[in-house]
Amino acid sequence: MAVLSVNNIHKTFEDTPVLKGVDLEINQGDVVAILGPSGSGKTTLLRIINFLEKADQGELTFDGTTYDLKTISKKDIARIRSKTGFVFQNFNLFKNKTALENVTEGLIVARKMDKQEAEKIGKEMLDKVGMSDRYDYFPSKLSGGQQQRVAIARALAQSPEIIYFDEPTSALDPELIGEVLNVMRDLAKEGMTMLVVTHEISFAHNVSNKVIFMEDGVIVEEGESHEFFANPKQDRTREFLRLIEARHDN
Amino acid sequence: MDARVWGILLDSFWKILIKGIQVTIPLTVLSFFFAMIIALVTAMIQYANVPILKQIVRFYIWIIRGTPLLVQLLVVYFGLPNIGVRLEAFPAAVIVFSINEGAYCSETMRAALEAVPVGQVEAGYCVGMNYLQIMWRIVIPQALRTAFPPLSNSLIGMVKDTSLASNITVAEMLMQTQRIIARVYEPMALYLEVALIYLVFSTILTWLQRYGEKKLNAYEGSK
Repeated sequence: MAVLSVNNIHKTFEDTPVLKGVDLEINQGDVVAILGPSGSGKTTLLRIINFLEKADQGELTFDGTTYDLKTISKKDIARIRSKTGFVFQNFNLFKNKTALENVTEGLIVARKMDKQEAEKIGKEMLDKVGMSDRYDYFPSKLSGGQQQRVAIARALAQSPEIIYFDEPTSALDPELIGEVLNVMRDLAKEGMTMLVVTHEISFAHNVSNKVIFMEDGVIVEEGESHEFFANPKQDRTREFLRLIEARHDN
Repeated sequence: MDARVWGILLDSFWKILIKGIQVTIPLTVLSFFFAMIIALVTAMIQYANVPILKQIVRFYIWIIRGTPLLVQLLVVYFGLPNIGVRLEAFPAAVIVFSINEGAYCSETMRAALEAVPVGQVEAGYCVGMNYLQIMWRIVIPQALRTAFPPLSNSLIGMVKDTSLASNITVAEMLMQTQRIIARVYEPMALYLEVALIYLVFSTILTWLQRYGEKKLNAYEGSK
């Protein structure tokens, strides 16, 4: 069953078209990786899906209800967001809150959850991402990898139907990438539905079940993960994969 | 210095200090409190880009920053009675200092709000918070951290600016000093004495600022 689908998304930034009619469907338990060169529109797509940018045109279907992205109400946006999680490239942990408070903030403030109950969930989620010994640390005292794991715990605390990841490892030092990818791999194993904009080809290859390749604001190719890598159909996809592999070989 | 001057200084010290405690400090605290409210509200209007209100705020800041504080005091205390508005000296001073300081601190607050990365707001939306919740719990606390040193600066400046209130008959420390000088004619010693008392007030505030910054630094790391 489709958790989320979008139709015909268009977006232009100051005369520069960034998305030129993108369609997407994500089913329960899917782990979808979006690949593509810089400027292909993949991050914008993710931000539009979670209403951080407004689309010029397009529809979004969530939980079986379809919304026009140009006219969707604040109430509907809040309702959909309460069922999704978002992990940013730069973590965006609340700087004035501890790790635990970062995870519980949304539960207590937005969902009016009892503080004790929220802390129970918060600790559970931090334990899950291997941060049990850092509850009371402020983000400034955590490494990038640790911050990103707290950010994942914060997203998980929403008990989301889907989590969006916007290049979750791009801002990390190479030696810290593994710990974040491991957490994401575990989530995938548990059946969490995930939409991941990434440059990590190995993640797309080994963890995701579906891959989308975007360029110049359109989806060039999409397919089942192993098939996509073993047998890319478009010239542009082959060229992109060849370039990436060449970079890895160096 | 001879014994007579020492006697005058000692005798006048408490007379001046008592005015500091009775007038200068309450005048500063009250005015700064209202100035902070004005600054926060007007800074938020600018930050959120509220149409019309934003123009009004810009106009207010333009007028207040563009005219001398002393003139503002004179207009409110001596000028307004011409159009039938009569104010006691102390409330008139509180009003003028609040409005004046509010304009300067508004700019400080606005800059501090704008310095909070937009990602903090986006993260707030993504965990389901609404605009006011994000402002109140995430953005404003971080902005206050940034604004704390310049706001402390403004507060220290204000302690000294309250001496201007002597021009509209507020019996604060400077006016008290001038009264004593008129009687004993020792301007050098007495002006230096009142200057010293202002210095003590400012020094205490500087200590408080340092203590406050240390507290606020908790989440900023050990900078």
